[in-house]
Amino acid sequence: MSSWSRRLIAVCGASALAFAATAASAKEVSVAAISGYFAQGFGVSIVNGLKKAEKDLGVKVKLIDTGNRALDYEEQFNNVGKSGEYDLVFVMGWELVDALQKAATAYPNTKFVFIDGVLDSKQIVYANFAQNQGSFLAGALSALMAEKGSAIEGLGDGKAIGFVGGRDIPVIRDFLGGYEAGAKAAAPDVRVDSVFAGTFDDPAKGSELTMALYGQGADIVYNVAGPTGEGVLQASAAADKYSIGVDVDQCDVAPGHVMASMLKRGDVAVYNLVKDVVDGKTIEPGSTHTYDLKSGGVELLLCPKVEDKIPAEVKAKVEALKTEVIDGKIVVPTVK
Amino acid sequence: MNDRISALSGQALAIMIALALGAMVILAVSESPLHVLLTLLDGAFGNPERILGTLLQTTPILICGVAACISLRGGLFNIGIEGQLFMGGFAATWIGFSFEMPPVLHVMAGLGFAAFAGLAWVAIPAFFRARYQTNEVVSTILANYVAVLITSYLTINIFKRAGGAPDTPPILESAYLPQLFSFSRANWGLVIGLVLAIGAHFFFTRTARGYAVTEMGANPKFAEYGGIDIKKQTFFLMLASGAVGGLAGGIESLGVHHRFMEGFAPGFGFDGVIAALLANGNPLGTIVTALFFGALRSGSLLLEVDTTASREIITVIQALIILAVSAQILVRRRATDSSAGERRWKF
Repeated sequence: MSSWSRRLIAVCGASALAFAATAASAKEVSVAAISGYFAQGFGVSIVNGLKKAEKDLGVKVKLIDTGNRALDYEEQFNNVGKSGEYDLVFVMGWELVDALQKAATAYPNTKFVFIDGVLDSKQIVYANFAQNQGSFLAGALSALMAEKGSAIEGLGDGKAIGFVGGRDIPVIRDFLGGYEAGAKAAAPDVRVDSVFAGTFDDPAKGSELTMALYGQGADIVYNVAGPTGEGVLQASAAADKYSIGVDVDQCDVAPGHVMASMLKRGDVAVYNLVKDVVDGKTIEPGSTHTYDLKSGGVELLLCPKVEDKIPAEVKAKVEALKTEVIDGKIVVPTVK
Repeated sequence: MNDRISALSGQALAIMIALALGAMVILAVSESPLHVLLTLLDGAFGNPERILGTLLQTTPILICGVAACISLRGGLFNIGIEGQLFMGGFAATWIGFSFEMPPVLHVMAGLGFAAFAGLAWVAIPAFFRARYQTNEVVSTILANYVAVLITSYLTINIFKRAGGAPDTPPILESAYLPQLFSFSRANWGLVIGLVLAIGAHFFFTRTARGYAVTEMGANPKFAEYGGIDIKKQTFFLMLASGAVGGLAGGIESLGVHHRFMEGFAPGFGFDGVIAALLANGNPLGTIVTALFFGALRSGSLLLEVDTTASREIITVIQALIILAVSAQILVRRRATDSSAGERRWKF
């Protein structure tokens, strides 16, 4: 294409854009999200939040899949940063941290939001989740149920509960810490058996570890392991025991066996931040937005198919603990 | 010569068919194929930075491609380049952050150790292939999984730096393989790759030893009859191929990432094998095919931002190319000689 014809197209394009800008009454907000995990667990929750924002707030949404090649990340960020058309860019995944920090320095006018963690950079906005608080309730519920033992269908008297983590990284330790604290607060005599699969991508390994935990008497197993965790849930159906879901509503993965799901409302976080931009609020760079039990950013959802097997006093106790955490009477330990 | 032209036109036709099928896939996801193609071109060659981005993507494919060419030339199929790349990448990073050395020496030590790691990783499959005729396709492909998991284990459990990311500490600056230009991460690895490709070409076409390898690839029984020590040559050829694969990993870690992390460079080993196959095992042709795949990869990054088509469309096109090319190789071979099945790539 010769240079002047390209220029001609550019001019036409620019005037078309100018026309569009005057035609629209308010400035259109565009947001982008960069991640390699849109198809699983927490990523799905973020996509749901963005879809909702697209529908309710009329913003333009662009999902950018990074894939899994580290070589590509920086170029992806450059393409987004250079276009300069996004008011907010959500970033999820620890493997993107290096590229994110470089991009945040290179494109100071683009507002990047790092989801699920806090870094040193003062140019990035952080959305952080109190997974320890949500896991605290999951631990409390499991421990109270395990304490009842064989009084409840499907449970034995092992007086133990289990935990299957993905990789042994700080954020997963944060889940585990909350889970253990919750069990201790609710039923101190119940043991917590925890294992790490070492991978997020191996459902078979998840099943295997869960079966081992069941064998040790832990009849309720909490999965914090992405796709590996799917294996945990399936094992609970195969062994006719119980499991607890994570991140999104996983009750339907093994209906009747998933006791509850600890929701990490990525959708709420994303939606709220987009709404702030649409409402014209400034989001301070370097600020941390925490989503905890109080703000509804994390919560424990009891699965409808199992709910009637949970005694009312257990529900009441969990509810009481929730209030205490919200009121600050209980401080759940955290790992960063 | 005539044969070569017909081979080339066959390859080109295969690519055309694959692209046409790819266009149909793009239509199916309701995006204009022309728009996708133009975005691809823009993403790959739109400005100097993007051209260098393409070269950055080309480098590992080219070097892995040369590694594949070396084994293919002798009728061997090293599919373990992926694993050799991971081992090499880790080895070079380890040298990079564990030792203090003067700049040039540090880079050379890192790359040297990377090549050694790749060589060591292929040594076991190579030995069993040479000594006991074990199928090298199976053993090298299995070694890939072990390499990826071992490096991941070492990274997370032994060398992990503080923080949430599954990375090793960064390498010292003295171990940086210099960039070609300040505005892109494309580095001298590209030059190393070109030198390797040209070197391999001359080795195979101009030296007696290279001729012996080609002879073994064409017909191992005849080569053995002609006095070539097949076992020894098989072993060393696999080692050479593995060393180049390891070097590819070293260049990625010293030139681009400056650290090793989980999911270091997935798929480049396989891309290299495909580039080499598409070039019919010719190192010079591999330069062209690696550039082609590099441009596809690099262009696809802009697809995510500027079109509604997914980046993965490239993977589809690449797979279609493999299908088309392997189909035409089979057809051509069946047409020209009946003993072909016994020579190369005995599955």
